[in-house]
Amino acid sequence: MEKRPHALLLKFPGTNCDAETARALEAVGFSADVLPISQVEPSKLEAVDLVVLSGGFSYGDYVMAGRLAQLVSENALGDSLKQFRDAGGYLLGICNGFQILTRMGLLPEGSLIHNDSGRFKCNWVKLKKSGLKDSPFLRALPDEFELPIAHAEGRFVTKQASEAEALVASGLGVLTYAEDINGSFSQIAGLQDESGRVLGLMPHPERFMEKAHHYDPDWTNVTGGKHGSGHYLFQSIFEEISKK
Amino acid sequence: MSFYCHIPITELNGAELEKLSSDMKLSLSRVDMEAVQVIFRDWKREPTDVELEVIAQTWSEHCKHRIFGAEITHVKDGKSEVVSSLFMTYIKELSEEIFARKPGFVLSAFHDNAGFIELDDKLAICLKVETHNHPSAIEPYAGANTGLGGVIRDILGAGKGAKPIASLDVFCFGAPDTAADEIKADGVIHPLGVMRGVVRGVRDYGNRMGIPTVGGAIQFDPSYIYNPLVYCGTAGVIPREYIDKEMSPGLKIISVGGRTGRDGLHGATFSSAALGTDSHEEDLQAVQIGNPIEEKKAADFVLEARDRNLIEFITDCGAGGYSSAAGEMLSEVGGEIFLDEVKLKEPGMVSWEIFISESQERMVLAVKEEDLPELKELADIYETELTELGNSDGSGILKVWHHGELVCELDCRPLHDAPTRHLQSTYTSPSGTASSRDIECMDPAADLKALLGDFAIVSREPVIREYDHEVQGNTLLKPLAGAAGDAPQDAAVMNIDGSERLMAMSQALLPEWGKYDPFAMGAACVDECFRQLVAAGSNPDKIALLDNFCVGNPEDPKELGELVECVKGMAGAADAYSAPFISGKDSFYNYFETDEGPVSIPVTALISGIGVVDDKKHVTGASIRHADSVLCVIGATGDAMGGSVYGRQKELGDRAPLPVTHCDEHLELYRAYHEAVKNGWILAAHDIGEGGLAVALAEMGFSGKAGVEVQLEKMVTGEDASVTACLFAETPGRLLVEVAAADVPALLESMLGAAVAEIGRTTDAHRNLQISFDGKVLIDEALNELKAIWKNGLTPYY
Repeated sequence: MEKRPHALLLKFPGTNCDAETARALEAVGFSADVLPISQVEPSKLEAVDLVVLSGGFSYGDYVMAGRLAQLVSENALGDSLKQFRDAGGYLLGICNGFQILTRMGLLPEGSLIHNDSGRFKCNWVKLKKSGLKDSPFLRALPDEFELPIAHAEGRFVTKQASEAEALVASGLGVLTYAEDINGSFSQIAGLQDESGRVLGLMPHPERFMEKAHHYDPDWTNVTGGKHGSGHYLFQSIFEEISKK
Repeated sequence: MSFYCHIPITELNGAELEKLSSDMKLSLSRVDMEAVQVIFRDWKREPTDVELEVIAQTWSEHCKHRIFGAEITHVKDGKSEVVSSLFMTYIKELSEEIFARKPGFVLSAFHDNAGFIELDDKLAICLKVETHNHPSAIEPYAGANTGLGGVIRDILGAGKGAKPIASLDVFCFGAPDTAADEIKADGVIHPLGVMRGVVRGVRDYGNRMGIPTVGGAIQFDPSYIYNPLVYCGTAGVIPREYIDKEMSPGLKIISVGGRTGRDGLHGATFSSAALGTDSHEEDLQAVQIGNPIEEKKAADFVLEARDRNLIEFITDCGAGGYSSAAGEMLSEVGGEIFLDEVKLKEPGMVSWEIFISESQERMVLAVKEEDLPELKELADIYETELTELGNSDGSGILKVWHHGELVCELDCRPLHDAPTRHLQSTYTSPSGTASSRDIECMDPAADLKALLGDFAIVSREPVIREYDHEVQGNTLLKPLAGAAGDAPQDAAVMNIDGSERLMAMSQALLPEWGKYDPFAMGAACVDECFRQLVAAGSNPDKIALLDNFCVGNPEDPKELGELVECVKGMAGAADAYSAPFISGKDSFYNYFETDEGPVSIPVTALISGIGVVDDKKHVTGASIRHADSVLCVIGATGDAMGGSVYGRQKELGDRAPLPVTHCDEHLELYRAYHEAVKNGWILAAHDIGEGGLAVALAEMGFSGKAGVEVQLEKMVTGEDASVTACLFAETPGRLLVEVAAADVPALLESMLGAAVAEIGRTTDAHRNLQISFDGKVLIDEALNELKAIWKNGLTPYY
């Protein structure tokens, strides 16, 4: 039997999007395992193609979002996640996972802080793909597409606003909101690292896998595909890994 | 310091017993205390404080629902009848009769933490709704936070552990713009503070647990200033083989989750009494502290343990804490609990405090001894604390040990039945006769705008956006949807993993109706909930309901009389629709002792329901989709305006009658509607409710897809309904539907002879709402302007 690409989802106390993210990965062809952080050690990364940090509230996010998860992960894994990436592995952080990857330093420097409204916000947003740099996670997606967001701490900031602008200009700011959603500098919604193998984004692709997930019953895919936008994100990275 | 003591009661007289109950905050009446005295005289000993506390929890209104079990002498319009038990007569026996009409549909009801209905041959779904009114009045954030946390645990403790998949939250507050001097007592939190605290409390628990909050309602009325109401509900799904659970001797009793502290002492008994100004200081201890991540870890543990078949029995720690949970598990089989094993948040807790503490996030399980090592390993994996509390032993006696002493030794059999209460109620039927023609409707457009800006109708979007309603990735019909993603829907529809079928969930409450005609309210709430579920695509034969009542002072015959009438109205409609009740709860003593006397809430019934949607194709939203469709109203419009939002705005009071719910006729139409859904004829459907047809048309038009043109003279009206009634009456049983022109003949044919009419169309020529009568234009307003009024109504306050 042909070996399918394998995804490993790390689960912290308070991670709560792991089941549907695993379901989404399996829907495009991955095999997927959810591993509670108490069981995580460097050897568990062997034979893994994609490490996923899914959404939720790790440890309640009572300190800065993702901070405790970062410390616990580093304690469990040391710098194995960096080695995993350097060895050609892929990492995806969604929402809380994006916050954690940012705190770990696996993504360009910056911070995800409270939305400028001071509120949790659950709604659908229009996103723009930068297109300046190729992203193996986004290839099958059109230049503009929609996904739902649900976060209180999704405002991406850098020390100087110019640093965020530079991220967009360099193409690392791979995803931006079409409108100002939460006060993010340069309306950044998602970032990748220099290698392109690490992607973090605030919106939730796993919640828009099929047409029926969209709020408008008459929504159609501009590219003519039969799935929701999120499907194509997972499909892109599946194809990237499969062709290796 | 002694950690327990004996309380001499066998020699006390009635007054002394009553004082003892009051001093210990037991909330037991003199009759109850005398019954306890008889039991201990029989046993020839004095009770310990632990035993008295256990009995007080067991017999509390909160746990035993003694008013719903009371014998009530009900006098209606001078005629007297005896209702032996509202619960048995109108809820349990009725529902069991309905179960028999549709074998295999209800799989469990009335004995577990929640009732289950069949989804398909593998899965079952359940719903539980609870109130957390008193705690939310005193500490809105923590009260609502733990209210939701508690009902989620009910689902985790239903069967051998159901998975929570969706929540609903319904609130009743004073208006957010209540003037400070309208509040006539000290220590009362302003409605705006209550609302903000409550919403954030629900938000922070639901979002962190990863359970989508997809349903809800908010009612505003001055009568809720002192007693805000907070209903929290959660639905769950379970593989059918895990529904049944049974206790047996020789099992280990374990606790999983949080530790035990002094937070939440006397919650069950506290909620069985009225609030007063002092409550805000004195009763703070009765409010629990929530920690959703603790519960998330426990939930992950429970669901994994269930899937590995390691659970024999499970229940949650709610009101009454370990005493209720252990009581539920051990009252028949008997067993021992060792309080020394309990992990405490603070030192120095005495026996009764440990046993009745309502500290949150604890689940109690009965498991086989040989499974303990695997369970402990699982607890380590999910980083939750597992404690061995004791064991079941077949003795029939509940024994509680602390520091080597037997601090409680109760044979629970004599305690199963608390003394039956005997209550009086009176009711006078409403006598309003005013017709809608007695209301001056000079400017229908202005009236429509006033309705769209009324707190009863304005968009709840600022609140809804704070809830994660998409987590778990299964929310197909969202609370706000339509082409612009922000229009109101009638029900939420959830995809269920592992099934082709879906679950719809909805809720209805009409407290304004209850002020004038509680019978009409009871029937109309059932109708509205049922209708919303059908509108969204549920099979009308696969709907189950929950009843949750909030009442002021049950010892006031007038207030109790309103409850009796409400229950009767509700039961009649449920019977007609063959929609059984599978669970319910009641909350009494929602009144407040102000300096100017007690203020009670109006009797407030929340009917919530779940329905099975047989096919994804049946999911139907409530927003206009095309600019070339036909609009039809299914159901006849009546003239009665009592209880309507329009009537309230026009200060109609009790002068007008309330609409009658003609259940049998409505059901026939709902069945026909469902056939139309199955035939693919229905593009969109919206229930006509608060604000009447005019508001329903506007709301459907908020998708922005089309203009709307309607001719009122085409409507089917009964009771000689006026134009005002056509626009704004809240006659039950009506659906507004969008149908493709080509399908209209077939639809009308299929409903031949029934009250259905083509009333207008959608158009691309403009984006207005145009309503005319006999050629005269009554309303011609831009939909986006109407929408702005509706959409921004709450934003200044939330």
